[in-house]
Amino acid sequence: MPVRTPHFPDLLFGPAERLRRWEDALMGLLAAHGYRELHPSLVLRDTVPDGALRFFDGDELVALRWDFTMALAGLLARRFPEPPERVSYAGAVFRRPVQPWEAVERFEVGCERITTEGQSSTEADVELARLLMAIPGVLGLKSAILHMGNAALVRRPLEAEGLSPELAAEVVAALSRRAPHRVAQALEGHPSAARLSAHAQALLSELDGPASLAALSASPYAELLQEEVDHMDRALQALLPILPPNLELRVDLADVAGLDFYTGPTLRLWAPGAQQELAAGGRYDRLFPGLGRPWKAAGFCVRLSRLLDLAETRPDLFEQPR
Amino acid sequence: MNAPAILIAFPKGRLGDELVPLLAGTALALDAQALKSRVLRIPTATPGVSALLLKGADLPRYVAAGVASLGIVGSDTLDEMDMDLLELADLGFGACRLSLCALAGVSLDELRAKPHLRLATKFPRATEAWLTREGLTAELVPLSSSAELAPLLGLADAIVDLVQTGGTLKAHGLVETAVLGRSSARLVAARGAYLSEPGRIRPLADTLIAALKGCG
Repeated sequence: MPVRTPHFPDLLFGPAERLRRWEDALMGLLAAHGYRELHPSLVLRDTVPDGALRFFDGDELVALRWDFTMALAGLLARRFPEPPERVSYAGAVFRRPVQPWEAVERFEVGCERITTEGQSSTEADVELARLLMAIPGVLGLKSAILHMGNAALVRRPLEAEGLSPELAAEVVAALSRRAPHRVAQALEGHPSAARLSAHAQALLSELDGPASLAALSASPYAELLQEEVDHMDRALQALLPILPPNLELRVDLADVAGLDFYTGPTLRLWAPGAQQELAAGGRYDRLFPGLGRPWKAAGFCVRLSRLLDLAETRPDLFEQPR
Repeated sequence: MNAPAILIAFPKGRLGDELVPLLAGTALALDAQALKSRVLRIPTATPGVSALLLKGADLPRYVAAGVASLGIVGSDTLDEMDMDLLELADLGFGACRLSLCALAGVSLDELRAKPHLRLATKFPRATEAWLTREGLTAELVPLSSSAELAPLLGLADAIVDLVQTGGTLKAHGLVETAVLGRSSARLVAARGAYLSEPGRIRPLADTLIAALKGCG
């Protein structure tokens, strides 16, 4: 009998009830905004990525669903000549944990907003941000923080400087650690070292309200990134007047999580004192073209397993259900 | 329920010995009485903020898990571990070299020429990275302490270890044959604490940086 606990959580009464209630409430919110549920199979028979939970079905290697967005993208690209504009999902994904305390089975609710040529990405991004802003209230969180970033703020300067994939990965890892000294160390001797180090300083200088965008004016890439800055500014102007009272909006210029996937604005929801983000998403315009479809998309995922853990360890962060 | 107390992880040993006096008189000065006792959780001059005294190799795990919100640890330890945490500043003190060291009289070329090189170290990742850069292969002998004994007693041809003054090497008849990297104390933070409670964590980080940066 194995003595090391594999992290497949059993939910007993309270958490099970909470999961059911939150799933219903979140799917209800999404449905009210026109999002229709798709439920991709739990078993994937095509590409089996690293990190997925894999096993043999007879002679065939299969994997359990490890990510809803990827599973849905495959399904949508295969089955729909024109995409549904709004899609939601709920269920479990299975991933090998990177850290020993992470669960293998994780419960999620999320949505994807797909646009075709001629439709506005900005409006879609604002729509998703507004939905995400409503989620703390739906879940009964007393207060929350919404971080807004933009993957292009890092991606475009790295591409403009023609960094090798290895060096770019080192710079991104240093930014992920919020360690400007590591950025400088990684770039030592590279022709772009001074420029990219100055850019890293600008990205890491602020983690505050909407005024943080101004920090980018000190970047050598300020002109290159003007379009992204304008996009973020427009989104902020649309969101600030409707900010719920218990939600704080912060601009996180150095958000590089998922940089190989995200192409534009990113959103992350935190609760004060939470050790992990509770929901995350953003724009990923390269996914569908990679599957042969000229569609753009953005979405977010609410990490219910983390919320269940938080409700157990920090019940003070939640309103008591009536 | 009030917000839980904030814990800051400080390293025991060489780095810890250097930083305790530097914090005296600051908002994060460690309680002198508690330091004299055997307790490992020490109150600071700021109510609601305590220090944990931890072994360097364990410290990043406490911070990555969010148990401690901030910590101070050598970059050599960070580089050996794949921990998801933030590294807010290079504090500069505790500077030392990560070096390949062999018995006096044994050159780097002689080590390179060995058909089966054995290196004893508690820094396998940094050693492997150096071997890759140099195009060498070696058998790594994992040790957790007193690596200097390995070449003397025939356990390994050389060691990869931290060198600060070189006094310990000299006492064992060893010399540095190559410098693989440099290490210094880093201020680390739990990603969750830093991003979700910057109002509580950043002032403490700033206090540590002001007290410790460049004091080496």
